[in-house]
This record gives sequence, C-alpha cells and structure tokens, in this order.
Amino acid sequence: MEEFRRRNTGIPRNYEKLPSKDQNENGENNKTYKAMAYKPTRPGINKYIDLLREHQDITIPIFFTLLSFWTRFYLISYSNIVVWDEFASHYIKREFYFDVHPPLGKMLVGLAGLLAGYDGSFEFKSGEVYPDNVNYTWMRIFLSSFGAWMVPLAYFTAIELDYSQQSAILVTLFVLLDTAYICISRFILLDSMLLLFTFTTVFCLTKFHNERKNPFSVDWWIWLTLTGTSIGCVSSVKWVGLFATALVGLYTIEDLWNKFGDLSMPKIVCCQHWLARIGCLIILPITVYMLTFVIHFAILIHSGPGDAQMSSLFQASLIGNDFDQNPLELAYGSKITLKNMGYGGGLLHSHVQTYPSGSEQQQVTCYHHKDSNNDWIVKKPREVAWSEDDEIEFVKNGDSIRLFHASTGRNLHSHMIAAPVTTSLWEVSCYGNETIGDQNDYWVIEVVDDLYEKDLQTVRSLTTRIRFRHINIGCYLRADNAVLPQWGFKQIEVTCDKSNNTKDAYTHWNIERHWNDKLPPGPKAKYRSKFIHDFWHLNVAMYTSNNALVPDPDKEDILASTPDQWPLLKVGLRMCSWADDVVKFYLLGNPVVWWSGSLSLVIYLISLTWYLIRQQRKYIDFPSNAQWDHFLYIGKVCGIGWLLHYLPFCIMGRVTYLHHYFPALYFSILMVGFLFDHFTVYLAGKTRHIVFGTCYFLVFAVFWFFKDIAFGMDYPAIEISNRKWLSTWNIVD
Amino acid sequence: MASNKYTERGVINSLPYSGEQGTTTSLTFGDIRYRKSKHPYKDFQETQIYDLQEEPYRKSTKTVLGLPRRDARIIAGLMLLASIVRLYRISEPTSVVFDEVHFGGFASKYIKGRFFMDVHPPLAKLLITLAGVIGGFDGNFDFKEIGKDYLEPKVPYVTMRLMPGILGIFVIPISYLTIKLAGFSTISASLVATLLIFENGLVAQSRLILLDSPLILFTAFTVLMWVNFHNHYRRPFSFWWWFWMAMTGVGLGLTVSVKWVGLFTIALIGLSTIKGLWDLLGDLRISPEVWAKHFLARALCLILIPTVIYMFMFAIHFLILTNSGDGDGFMSSEFQQTIGGHGMDDTPIDIAYGSKITIRHLNTQGGYLHSHDHSYPGGSKQQQITLYPHKDENNLWIINNKTKPEIPFDEQDPIWIENGAIIRLEHITTNKRLHSHEVRPPVTDVDYQNEVSGYGFPGFEGDDNDFWRVEIFDHEKSDPKSGERLRTLHTKFRLVHVLTGCYLFSHSVKLPEWGFEQQEVTCVKGGSVPKTIWYIETNSHPTLPLDAETVNYRKLGFFGKFFELQRVMWTTNNGLTDSHPYESRPLSWLLMKRGISFWGQDHHHIYLIGNPIIWWSSTAALAIFVAIEIIILLRAKRGYLDHLNVTKEFYESHASFLFIGWFLHWFPFILMSRQLFLHHYFPALYFAILLFGVVFDFFTTPLSTRKRASVALIYLVMVLYVFRLFSPLTYGRPWIKSDCNSLKWISTWDFDCNQFYNSYDQFSIDADLKALKISPTGESSSLTVLNSPDSSEKSEAAETHAMQDDSNDALML
Repeated sequence: MEEFRRRNTGIPRNYEKLPSKDQNENGENNKTYKAMAYKPTRPGINKYIDLLREHQDITIPIFFTLLSFWTRFYLISYSNIVVWDEFASHYIKREFYFDVHPPLGKMLVGLAGLLAGYDGSFEFKSGEVYPDNVNYTWMRIFLSSFGAWMVPLAYFTAIELDYSQQSAILVTLFVLLDTAYICISRFILLDSMLLLFTFTTVFCLTKFHNERKNPFSVDWWIWLTLTGTSIGCVSSVKWVGLFATALVGLYTIEDLWNKFGDLSMPKIVCCQHWLARIGCLIILPITVYMLTFVIHFAILIHSGPGDAQMSSLFQASLIGNDFDQNPLELAYGSKITLKNMGYGGGLLHSHVQTYPSGSEQQQVTCYHHKDSNNDWIVKKPREVAWSEDDEIEFVKNGDSIRLFHASTGRNLHSHMIAAPVTTSLWEVSCYGNETIGDQNDYWVIEVVDDLYEKDLQTVRSLTTRIRFRHINIGCYLRADNAVLPQWGFKQIEVTCDKSNNTKDAYTHWNIERHWNDKLPPGPKAKYRSKFIHDFWHLNVAMYTSNNALVPDPDKEDILASTPDQWPLLKVGLRMCSWADDVVKFYLLGNPVVWWSGSLSLVIYLISLTWYLIRQQRKYIDFPSNAQWDHFLYIGKVCGIGWLLHYLPFCIMGRVTYLHHYFPALYFSILMVGFLFDHFTVYLAGKTRHIVFGTCYFLVFAVFWFFKDIAFGMDYPAIEISNRKWLSTWNIVD
Repeated sequence: MASNKYTERGVINSLPYSGEQGTTTSLTFGDIRYRKSKHPYKDFQETQIYDLQEEPYRKSTKTVLGLPRRDARIIAGLMLLASIVRLYRISEPTSVVFDEVHFGGFASKYIKGRFFMDVHPPLAKLLITLAGVIGGFDGNFDFKEIGKDYLEPKVPYVTMRLMPGILGIFVIPISYLTIKLAGFSTISASLVATLLIFENGLVAQSRLILLDSPLILFTAFTVLMWVNFHNHYRRPFSFWWWFWMAMTGVGLGLTVSVKWVGLFTIALIGLSTIKGLWDLLGDLRISPEVWAKHFLARALCLILIPTVIYMFMFAIHFLILTNSGDGDGFMSSEFQQTIGGHGMDDTPIDIAYGSKITIRHLNTQGGYLHSHDHSYPGGSKQQQITLYPHKDENNLWIINNKTKPEIPFDEQDPIWIENGAIIRLEHITTNKRLHSHEVRPPVTDVDYQNEVSGYGFPGFEGDDNDFWRVEIFDHEKSDPKSGERLRTLHTKFRLVHVLTGCYLFSHSVKLPEWGFEQQEVTCVKGGSVPKTIWYIETNSHPTLPLDAETVNYRKLGFFGKFFELQRVMWTTNNGLTDSHPYESRPLSWLLMKRGISFWGQDHHHIYLIGNPIIWWSSTAALAIFVAIEIIILLRAKRGYLDHLNVTKEFYESHASFLFIGWFLHWFPFILMSRQLFLHHYFPALYFAILLFGVVFDFFTTPLSTRKRASVALIYLVMVLYVFRLFSPLTYGRPWIKSDCNSLKWISTWDFDCNQFYNSYDQFSIDADLKALKISPTGESSSLTVLNSPDSSEKSEAAETHAMQDDSNDALML
C-alpha cells in the first residue's frame, strides 16, 4: 500500500509560481495531496477514526466495495420475472446452440445456473415469471458480484493513474452511483462480466505502465501476464472486448517504438521486450480465447438448436443426431438436404414466397434452421424414363440431375437473370413442377473430393464434397454470406456463379441428411472434424450473424438507439414491460456521470489544443517532460480508450443499443477524475474540499433521486414523471 | 544521457536535435531559452529550398509569356503532341459511348431547360452544353442508349467531344510546369508530361463526352497554383502571393463544381494549409496579429472563393433549368413549386367533413395517396392503393364522418376535423373507401404490415375496417390552430386504423408491373414513425366562402433550393449501391486489374484500360516512396541524422505532398459502399504519375544530364510501344482476335476479343460493303457473336450485351 501514497504527484502548471516552498522540500516523491489534506498536526477526534485514517489506503476501498455490493445486491430478487435478455444457457442441458457472442460469459452464466441448482428445464422467455425451482436470486447474485468488483477496480485504477485521493474517490463514486452500471449488473446478462474484464484490462495496463522502469522484474511479468489474460477474457465475453484489446495494442506499439528508438538499450534487450509482448499480449490472449471454445465444444456434446450453423461433420459427432441413419451412397429418388461448405454456410432452402423482382419465381435461399423446406429429391432429367419403383441406381460423378423441392414440388432452376442482391451473378429460383420445365432445371453433379474415399465416382453423405454446375450456363450453385432483404426473411442469397472458380468453397456442398427407403443406414462415422476447423467455422458464422443484425428501416425499434444519442444520454431503455403492476427497470445512466464524462472529453481536447498551440509559441506550461508525458498518457488511455470503444459503433451497420456505450463510459469517467486534479492543483486545501465535496454530494443526490429506476419500480411509471428530464426519455409514455 | 557503451553516434549530442534522444517525448525544450533570454530567435529548421529553385527563373531574361524560352518551346512541342494523340479521329465512333448516355443527355436537358437530378455538380455538364450550343445542338437527341447513332440525327457530337478533349490537352503543360516550378529537372518534367500524353486510359476518357477530363484538369490546375503560391512563401502579402493563393481557391472551386471528388483536392490543400499555418505559429518572429492576418487571408482565398464559385455554378444551374423534367420527383414539394409547370394555386386552409382533398406522404417522394380501378392480384384482391407522384383525378378523396351525416355536408356549416377524430376516406372516382385488414401486403410480406385497399360497392354502407383516427403529429408553429385540427399543408398527421391499431404507411418499395410501379402503401404496426406521416396538399369544400383563408407552399429562395439539392445529391449518391458488371474496388485499381467496356459495335471495341507500364510504374513509385519513408523513419528513430540533409528535405517535402494527394484521392473510395469504376482512380493516378517524376528525378540525380535523358528516353520508348499495342482499344480502331488475345496479360482484363475479326482483311471488306450501303452483320455485332458456333464464348458475349443494357440504368461518377 505504500506505493499508492508515493505516487500522487501533482501536476503544477508552472512551478515558479508555486506559493509554498515545502513542496520542493518534500521532494517529488512525497508531494501528495494527501499530505496537504490530512496534516498529522490535526487533532484526532477519536483514536479509532485516527486508525482508519492512517490506513485509509485500505479502508477507503473496502468501504466503497461494501457499498458497491449493497447497491448491486439490494432488492435483487424483487422482480421475479425474466427481465429483458436474461437467459441461462444450453450449457446445463449440454445442447449445442449458436449465439453471436463468444462462450466465456455464457459459460459463467451456466456455472451460475449450475451452482443455483437450475436443471435447464425452464426456458427463459422475456417477461415470464420464474418458477419455484429456478433459484434466480442466486444466479443474479453470482453475476452481479462481477459488477460489484468494478468499484474497487475503478478506485485502484485511478490511484495507478496518479490521481489524487479525492479524484480517485470521485471516480469511484461515479462508478458506484451510476444507475446504468447498477441496473445492468443486477440481471443475468453478459454485460457485468464484459465491464469487469474491461476494468481489469485498464487496471492491469496502468499497473504494467507503472512497472515500466523495472523491466523483467517479477511484478512486471505478473502485470504483463495479467493484462494478456484480461484481454483474452474480455474478448471471450463479447467481441466488444476487441476494442480494449486494441487499446492495449496501441499502447504496446508506442511503447515498443520508443524502445526501438532508445539507443541506450542493447538490441538483445529490445528483442526480449518484443518477445515478452508477443508471448503475453498476442499468444496468451488467443490461447485464452481458444480455450473457452475448447471448453465450449467439450461441454456441448448433444445435438441442439444451433447445429445447423456448423459443418455436417461436426454435427455428426454430436450425441442425439440422426445422421447415422443416412444411407451411404446417393441414389436417384433419395431425399436429401444440402449443406453449403463455405464458412457459415446453411442448408439449401426454398419456400412458396417469390422474388419481388427479376424472374418473380419462387425464392431459393440458404437457411440455418432445419425444416422440411430444406428437403430435395434427386431425380433424373425428364427426358430419361425413370420411376420411383425402378431398381436402385446410384448417382455418379458427372450425372445430370434434377433437384426437386419436396414440399412445393418445384425444380431448382437458374437462368440469365441477375440475382437480387449480388446482381453480377445469376439468379437461382424454383420453377415448374414434375412435368413443366426446361433444360434450365438440370444440374451436373461434380464430385470435388471425399474425406476418406479415393474413388470419386459415387456421392456419399456427409463426406463427399460436390458442386452443382448448371447444364446450360455452366455456372456453379453458390451461396456466400449475402443476406436477402426483409422479403427474403433475411436468409442467405443463393446464386449461380459464372466465374467458374472450382476452388471456391462457397460453391461446394455436401449431403447432410439422406433418406432412402430402399437403402440401409450407412456404417457409423468414425471421424471427427478438427477443432481448429470448427473453431474457425463458428467464428465466421458468429461474424456473419452479427453483421446480419441490421435494423429494418421500416420498423420502429424502441429498444435500439444510435451512437450519437449516447454521450448526451438522450435515451433510456425499458428493460421489461411497462405495465403498472410489473416491477419496472429503466436502463438510464446517472445524468451527472454521463454528462460530466462527455464534457470532460471535450475539455481535455480543448486543453490539449491549447497546450500544443502554446508550445508551438514556445511557452512553458509543464515544468518537466514527465508531466507533459503524463498529460498525454492520460489522453491516450482515457481519450483514445473512449474513442476505440465508441467510434466503431458509429461505423457499424448493425443495430446498436444503449448498453454498448457502457465500456466507453468508464473511460470518460476516468477523464473526469483527471481533469478535476488537473484544474484544482493550485486551489487551497479547503477550496478543493468544497469543490470535491459538492461533486460528491451532487452525484449522490442525483443517484438518490433516480435510484428507483435501477432498483425497480413497483408503482405506476406515471409517479416518476418528474424524472423525465429530457423529452426523449420514454420513462413515462 | 546515452551511456558510453553506445556512443558511436555520440556526435549527435552536439547538434540542436540531441535534446530528445532517448526520451519518450518528441518535444524539445531546447529552444525555449530564446524566449526567456530575449535573444533574437533563430529557427534551425529553416531551409532555403524555394529560393534555390527560383534562381534560374530570375536570371533568365528571354521569356515567352513569363516562361523561359526553352520551357516555352518544350511546352509547345508537348501540346502539339498531345493534340495529335488526344484528338486523333475524335469523330469515331459515330455513336453514343458509355456514359455519354448521361452527360450528353444532360446537355440536351440543359438546352431544353428541363429539370433533372444528377449526383454531380453542374460545371462540367454546363461546359459540355456550351460546346453543344456552339456546335448548334438543338437538344432533340436523347442519348438514350450506348450505340445509338449520331450521324443520322446530325448531333454535333464532335464539338461536344472536343470540349473534354481540349481541356484534357491542357493537363499536359500544367503537369510540366508543376514539376518544373517545384524545382525538379526539365527532363523529369518532360517525362511526366509525356507519360500523361500516352496514358491510354486518360486518352480514352478525354476523347468522349465525360466529366473526368475537366476534373483532372482543374485538379492539376489547383496543384500548380498551390506550387506557385508556395514559391512565394517567403514574400507574404505580396501581389503574386495573393494572386496564386486566390487562383488556388478558384481552382478548388472549379474542381469541386465538376465532381465531389474535388472535395479530396480541398482536403489536400486544406491539410497543406494547416501545416503551413502551424509552422508559421512556431515562428516567433511572427506576431499573433500577423498570424491572424495569414489565417484570414487563407480563409478568404481557400474557403470563401471556392464556396462562392460552387454556389455560383448552382445559380446558373437553377437559372437554366426552369421547366419541369424527370428530376422533379427527387425534390420536395416546396422545391417543385419553383419549377415551371408545378406551381400550385392557393388552396383553402380549413378542412372540414366533406372536403375534397389530396393527401401527400411527407418523407418519401412517392407523392399522393392514390387509387385506381385495378385490383391486387393476390391478398384480398381488392382495389389497389398506391402513392402516385403526379397530379391526377384519382388522387382526390373526400373526408367523411364515421356515420353518414343527417344533413349533407354541403348544406350545413363546416365541422372541423379535430385531433383524434374518426374519419372515413372515400375515393371520389371509384367510390371505394380506404380500407385495411389482417391480410399481408402484396410486396412487403411481413407480419407487422397489413394490406391497405379500396373497398366498397354500391349499396354497401362499409364496415368498421374503413375507420381511421386522425393523430396530429406536428404542425406549423406560426399557426397554432393547425395543432388542434387538420389544416391544409400546416398539419402533419398520422392515420391510425381503428380496429387493428396500425398506421397508414408508405416506403420506397415499388409495386410490380401490375401496380404500374407505383409506391406501395401499407398499414404498419410499430413502424418507423417518419414514414407514417402525411399532410393534405389541396382542399376544397362546398360551403367554404370564396374569400376563405388560403395557404400555399412557402417559397424557397436560392439557399433553400441549393441546400436541398445538395442533400438529395448526397443521398442519391450513397444510394448507388447496385452492382455493375464492370465495377471494381479501389484495391484492384493499384494494379489495374480490370477496365471498363465502353462500347462495342461492328467489330470495334472501346475498353477503358490504362497504359500498363505507366500505371504499374506509378504504383511502384508509390511503393518506393513508402519504403524510403519507412526506412528514414526507422533510421531516424535509431538516431541516424538523415533528416538534416537539405536535398532529402527537398525531395521529401514534395514527394509527401504528392503522396498525400494520391492517398486522399484514393483511400476515401475504400470506405465508400457505392459502385466504383476504374475511372475514379484517375485523379489519384495524376498524383501518382507526378510522384513517379519526382522519384525518377531523385534516383537519377547522380547522373549527368545526357545519361538522365537517355534513361528517360529508353523508358519512353517502352511506354510508346505499349501505348501503340493497346491503342485499338483506346480509339476503337480495327483489330484482330489474335493480337487482342495476346494482350490479355492479366486474366482479369475482360475486353472482349471475340468481337474482332480474325484478320484485318475483313475490315476492308466491311468498308467496301459499307460503301455499297449494305450492312454485313445485321443490327449489332453482339447478335452475330451470339450465333457463333463456339459455345464457350457465349457467356462472354452475353455479358457484353448485358453490360450495354445495364450501363443505361446506372448513374456513374
């Protein structure tokens, strides 16, 4: 704890003007605000209070941690319904499922469910009442304890950033009393974990920064490793964590760049620095990230709703799927489903709806859910006499076939009409029926390769990769990840690619399910897909699903908000139904915290410009390089940290929600603490007390005024209409 | 600071830069003592570049138009060469090529004064129109499709093509002077100018009625003016200093008035200006007042002048386009009031039951709520309800009460329609009522949308699904009454379907052919609010007195029109996201992976492709520059003092200016999602070629003038040879299949060799036949190729065919 006291060096702007001499006498290391604030000569009121004061480095954080747990746990079980996105995962049932987020957070939720004795039978539907056998209180407590640790971390981070103790307390109070942070931590959601790991990343980074003078010491290694672990964890909860990773990355690049320019450093030491970073900040986090997927695959061994996102081979290895019923070799008359082998590929699908443009024939798409619209029957061209009762005849490589959609009775068809989204390729539709149709219904089946069979003449379920070449145009049936608009139910577009690239994985298909009454089930598969392939496949699928979450321009989504609304807290978010008899939660930040956070970023930018201009005119505002460096360092950590967590959302096409701003908010809060220090350095102790005291009071008072929106309102919303400070808050109708 | 162990480079400590070695900050506090000690301040970093370079000009006395005689001679020669290369057989082909479809078309609309909407500002199109007028073009040719013949309707297309052609020639002397005045050798300057002459892409582009030639000219002009301005850097506020800066501003204004790509040029000059101002700020001899003067001068010349020019172009644009045309539909109703043929008479403001009204959708340009005597083919099969952009009898509706009134509305005092009133809307010509029900709409088949139809028949009173509740959403602030009840134009309202609670809605989705491609109208639950807002445009009521209060659209002034047009241009530009057979992405431009098929007819083919040698060597120059910069940066960080070398400083400052110019004209395209073409790279290519000149100059500095000239000459011979090879594609000259196929150096170059004959003899036979007025190949060559026996070529030929169709639809930069 001694080191905390040591580091609170002030940033006097012009030490020539400094009034007191004792600052200099104390030496730089002892120049602390604490020394000014709590003079030992001050008479103790009570020896216990004195004792507390003496150990305030421990007592203050402990005090705030206790408060933090209180705010997070208070009335946590009050609402007995599923609030917003609350869910306990398929981990309990060990069923494979698919989600756009990496698994770590959801595994912890699963763990919480396991500890609370949840058996997986209850389906978390938003707004539903929890049954007695689901101990949702324990699950919520488990997850909100993640959120509670944010408060002490904020305190220690502020101390590590060389803030005065008063500023550190201000930062802590901001995190403690922000209604949005409290509210989001209290439910079974991923955000409390995301936030906690973001906080630990910043904390470890600042710790590591402060160890920079003792490279390769034990502490240095510890904090470097912890930083790496932390970015691994934060990225494994949600991909938003990659922004925190980017912050650490930028810091490291600058650091190494300076090391490169340090002529006094032996080259070998420089290399060691590089290697240490590569090991701890690249390899370690990737390992952590992949490890979560290893566990993910290890737990989810049963077939479940997410199967279709994965390759057919992977699905075959899941318990409870019926792929082992598949006959081995494809024959005419077989009913099959076809799986695209590109990353994130789905099943070839068609439904009665038609294209609104182009040929206006029946749509053909790729779809990840299993239903009977995915079933196709392999038939011979109409010109060849053939009936279902004939002798079994296997499909050979190079055969011309007709794919007959089982439920609508139309044929897979293509023609020289531009596809609806990727207009440079040809459209694929379903057309005609058993008797009506033309040459455009025929496809040549081409075998690419087979996983374990050398003979490429026959087509086997699961293992053979095949292509479909259109007999007239010569184009290949293809589905990459282009998504159809609303009229196509956001399913994946299927096209016919005339570029004839035989290596394109998106034109490769395999047979996933195969039914043929005349054929016996094939031998049980003895192979598994490789982990690295599944890992990559799943990540690509997550990426494409994430990008497909685009807002419908015709639909008013009252939950969604746009990034420009966040910094000024123009919107809140109703987390549950707004009926009078429901306990209601409104996700809305503490206006003092959010507004001052955004204001501080602006003020920092203005002062930075001001100092730069003054420096260009050769004025001295900072007596030493170290202090100017510290000013810039805060700008890099807080300012760039904020930008990295905010700007990407402005560019993204996907739907954004208020809680996407929460990680960025933390950086703006840290900036507030810094600016308070920066501008109050010269104030007398008493004035500082008044300034900080007012702020403490203000943030507390506003929190108290708004606390019900986070703790739950069991009364009609109309009663808090006086909290509607901005007309855009939909707190009351 | 550095320990003794590493002092091989210890010398640096005696130099003024040593202060920062080994520290983490890039700021040096070493200069501060000057301010402290009141000694006159001396700037170490000042170099003498510009003065050194101006020396030869000051000495030379024999000048032509202010140029040394030698330069004047070279320029004259280059221009002559350029005229020959660029204007050679400019009358061929004698039919519409590529985007002449658009830009020729715009010229005819200017001449007719018909309002149109285009994503580009007007200057270049005005110039083309001017050329057309000079040539006697009467505007009676519509440039409808690629390949349409010019000769028959006697279109003065040659004059029109000469405008971009001649403007393109002026790029040559400008590039020469830019390199020369920046201080590089005559050989480099001539080399750059010659490369620009023999760049196949630039030649093809400047021979046709397209915008890129003026764009490149004005960009080049701006850069030249800026170089001139910089040469007067040391004599601020002198006449020439002002003159060159003002001319830079003029250049910027002209560039941005051709295409918005000019904004990148503005960004380049802007960055350069900020850098200059920042350096001035660091010069302590310049007082804050003088600095403010510098600042204001730049703001005047580089912000005000371009803005005025840009707006002036639009003033001319509005002045010419006074008649209604096909661009009306893009603009708001207020805007349309200013276009001839769209004026609306004043209309009574008060709306009561029994009013005959037209209802307009606020947030799309779809037009009026409309119905006609046709039914939906699916769904309920009831009468269609659409949005229709034009004035028509079928847009008229009568507002009725929920129940049939006891006394007809025309015999009693008007009853106002208050907020919350429940109404029925009756379509006058067909007597159907606006109706909605739980049936999915015809196109937007999603569960939160309901169909809206016209329903009713004689003797049928109607049912509850005909009821709509008026919800006032917004109103004109100056007219408080319009917030309480419906008033024409002033009240913006939503219509709620009483039984299902959905809102009357429309969005920019067109109905298929059976709906005459009019805009779909639906009833939406939880739909986007702006698309559910309507207002009443015209109104008449039998009992209102003749002198009743009337209202009309607010008149838009120039600024209102100007800003609205900018907004519409912006959204239209972003909306150009359809893919196109010949589009390409910015990364592929660097290596010129693919060109654009411009035109193909009668076994002739024009394909936009650059001179590969020039193109690739300009990209190589960029790569070399980046590599050198990285090496310098790394070395500087390791304490090597390259950066004190004046020669290096000189090359670096110019090369980085050109590199940033290239970067700003290339990189932003990567972020754009709209369709992009190879010709979007041309402004960037101009900078890259100039940079090539600088890099050439740098590497040949050690050589004698003679050797330098021979190196340049050898390179030029290569360039010329390759230019010759590709020239049939550039000029659309006769060519044969085998030659064409041998030039497919990259597999992605998709010029269509199958269009050509196997031997040149065939062309002379064609010519003979033509003389006999017999067409040997029928209507168009694509048909012939389609019938050719070689089936593997079919798809390619079909592609060309599709391209010709597609390019008619797409607006292109």
